[in-house]
Amino acid sequence: MDIVQEKRQGVAVFAVVGRIDSTTSDTLERALTRAIDAGQRRFVVDFDGVTYISSAGLRVLLMVAKRLGGGRDALVLCSLGDAVRQVFDLAGFLPLFAIERSRDLACARLAGA
Amino acid sequence: MARLHLQIERVGVAPAGRMFEAGDIVVGRSEKADIILDDYSVSRRHARLFRRDDGWFVEDLGSRNGTLLNGRAVSGSAPLGAGDIVRIGDTTLRVTALGEKPPTADTTGADATTDQSVFSVLRPASELMQVAGTDARASSRLRLLNEVHRALAAPISREELLQMILDRAFAVLQPEHAAIHLRGADGQLYQAAERRSPRSSGTLLVSRRLADEVTVKGAAALVLDAQSDERFATAASVLASGIRSIVAAPLSDADGCLGMIALYSNIHTRRFSEQDLELLVSLASAATMRIRNIALAEQAAERRVLDRELALAREIQMGMLRRRPPEQAEVELAAHLVPARSVGGDFYDFLIDRDRLWFVVGDVAGKGMAAALFMAVAQTLFRAFTPLGASLAEVVAGMNRELARDNDRAMFVTAFAGCLNLATGRVEIVNAGHILPYWLQADGTVRQLQAASGIALGVVEDRMFPTTNVTLGVGETLLLYTDGVCDAVDARGAAFGNRGLERCLAELGPLPASELVAGVFGAVDAFAGDTAQEDDITVAAIRYRGAPPSGHSPD
Repeated sequence: MDIVQEKRQGVAVFAVVGRIDSTTSDTLERALTRAIDAGQRRFVVDFDGVTYISSAGLRVLLMVAKRLGGGRDALVLCSLGDAVRQVFDLAGFLPLFAIERSRDLACARLAGA
Repeated sequence: MARLHLQIERVGVAPAGRMFEAGDIVVGRSEKADIILDDYSVSRRHARLFRRDDGWFVEDLGSRNGTLLNGRAVSGSAPLGAGDIVRIGDTTLRVTALGEKPPTADTTGADATTDQSVFSVLRPASELMQVAGTDARASSRLRLLNEVHRALAAPISREELLQMILDRAFAVLQPEHAAIHLRGADGQLYQAAERRSPRSSGTLLVSRRLADEVTVKGAAALVLDAQSDERFATAASVLASGIRSIVAAPLSDADGCLGMIALYSNIHTRRFSEQDLELLVSLASAATMRIRNIALAEQAAERRVLDRELALAREIQMGMLRRRPPEQAEVELAAHLVPARSVGGDFYDFLIDRDRLWFVVGDVAGKGMAAALFMAVAQTLFRAFTPLGASLAEVVAGMNRELARDNDRAMFVTAFAGCLNLATGRVEIVNAGHILPYWLQADGTVRQLQAASGIALGVVEDRMFPTTNVTLGVGETLLLYTDGVCDAVDARGAAFGNRGLERCLAELGPLPASELVAGVFGAVDAFAGDTAQEDDITVAAIRYRGAPPSGHSPD
C-alpha cells in the first residue's frame, strides 16, 4: 500500500494505492493520526487506487472520523470502487461517511466548509 | 620526503600552520576539501596542491574567482617554492618551508597560535579508516584496537559496552567529556552514555549541526577551535560550555548509522589532532559491530517475550471458545476457528436456553492484542445478555451499547447472531454488519440468506437492530462464517471468494454439521496451499434435525 498526500486549499488529500488490510492499515492510521496531531482538520481519502479494504481499514477511518468530532464536514471519502463500497455497505458504514464520486467533488465539499 | 609546510592566514582569524607529506590536497569551500575555506568567494573545489617527483605544485580547479600565485593568476599548474604566496579568496596560503625541516615556529611551538589550525576538518570516516594503517603511530593504535576487540569478544551488556568504549577513549585521548549518542526508535539521537573528567562542569549540549554532519553525512569531525570555526559560531551550546575542541566519529557500518561518539575538550587542556580523530574512527568502527549485535540480540529477546505473550493471549482466547458445542437432540452444531499467525479477533458461541439455541459468529476489526481483548469482551457480553434479553434484538442492542461506550480506539465487531426455536425451526436473526450466512436447503439449493443488516457493533451507541425471521426445514443447515474464508488467498494472491465457498458447499451437499465444517476447511486449505493467511477463519454450521417424535411440543 502506498499513500500519496497532497494539500488543496487547506484540505489534506490522502490518495491510497493498493490493499488496506490489517497489515497495512497501521501505516494509514499513523499517517492520518500524524496529520491530525499536527492540527489538520479537513481530510479527503481517495480510494481510486484501493483494490481491497478489510475491517481493519474501516476501523482507521472510523477512528479518524471520531477524532475529527464525527463531522461530515471534516472527512470526505471519494472514488470508492464496487468492491470497496461493498465492504463499507456490509458493515453498515455507508451512512457514517460523506462520500463523493471524485476527488474534485470531495475537495469542493470541504472547501466550502 | 618533501613535506609542504603552509601557513594559512585570513583577516580576522588567527593564522594556522599545516603540514602535508603527500597526496592531493584540495582547497575549497566543500566539506570534503582537505583545507576547508569557509568563504563564499571560494569555489567548492577551488584549487589543488599536489606533489610530483620533482616537487609541489598548485593548480586552479576551474574556480569562479581564480587562484593567484605571488599575485599572478595560476593557469594550468605552477611549481611551488618556499616563500611563495597562494591567494584564494580572502585567504593566503604561505609556503613556509619545503622539505624535511619544518619551520622554526612549528618545531619550538613558541607561537601557540600557529601550530594549531583554526580550520576544522570534516572527512569521510571511511577515508580515515584507510589511512589509519599507514600511519607511523599504527602500532600503538593497533594495540589499543586489539585490546578493544578482545574486550568486545567477552559477553557484555550494552551499558557495559558503551562505558568501556568511553573508558578507552578517556585513557588514550584524555578528553574533558565524552558521550555516545544513539539513534532511538523514533529516529532522534539520545545520549546513551557519557563520561566526564572531574574538572568538567555544566551540562553538555550537543551541536545539532555537528550531530547531523556525523550521523547523517557519516563524516568524522575534528573541530580544532569551535570558537573560531564559523560553522559552529552559532552553536552557542558548544561555546557556552567552554568546550572548544571536539572530535566526533559516526557509529556506522554498511547497514547505516547507529549514532556517534564525541569527545570534547577545553582547548586550554587539550586540543585534538587528526591522529586523535583517526584513532576515534577506528574505535567507533570496532564498537559499531558490537553495538549492532547487542541491539539485534535485544530485539530478538523482545520478540521472544512478545511472542510468548501473544501465544498466551491466543491460548486464553481459544480457551474461551467452546471446544465442544452443546449437544441437543434437535440440532447438530459444529464450529471451527483457525487463527491467523497473530492473535486475531474472530469468535463464535452457542448457548442453549431451555427451548432456544442462541448463536453468534463475530469478527473484530484488526488483529493483535487489542482485537483479542475486544473479542473477549464481545463474547462475554453475549453470554451475559442472552439469559436476560427477552428478544435477540435486545441482546444485540445491549452488546452494542456496552461495546460503543468510551470506545476511543474505534474498535468494532461485525456479528451475525440468531436464536433458533428448537421445537419449530424458526430462527430469529440479527445481522450487525457481518457477512450473511448460507442456507443449505432441503432440495440441495445453496443460497445466501437475505436479511436486513444493521451497523457493526461498537460504532454507534443506542441503536436498535432489525430482525429477520426464517424457518429451517428438517435437515436444513445454516452455515455461518467470517470473511477470512472468502479472503483466503492462494500463492498468486487470488481470493477464494464467495464463489469458491458457494461451489464448495454445492459440491459437499447435505452432510452432518461437523463434516460440512471440515469440508469447507478442506476446500480452503486445498485452495490456499502453503500461503499464510492474514485473517482468522471461522466456519460454524447449525443443522436442524427437527423436534424429536417423543416429548416436547411446539410452543
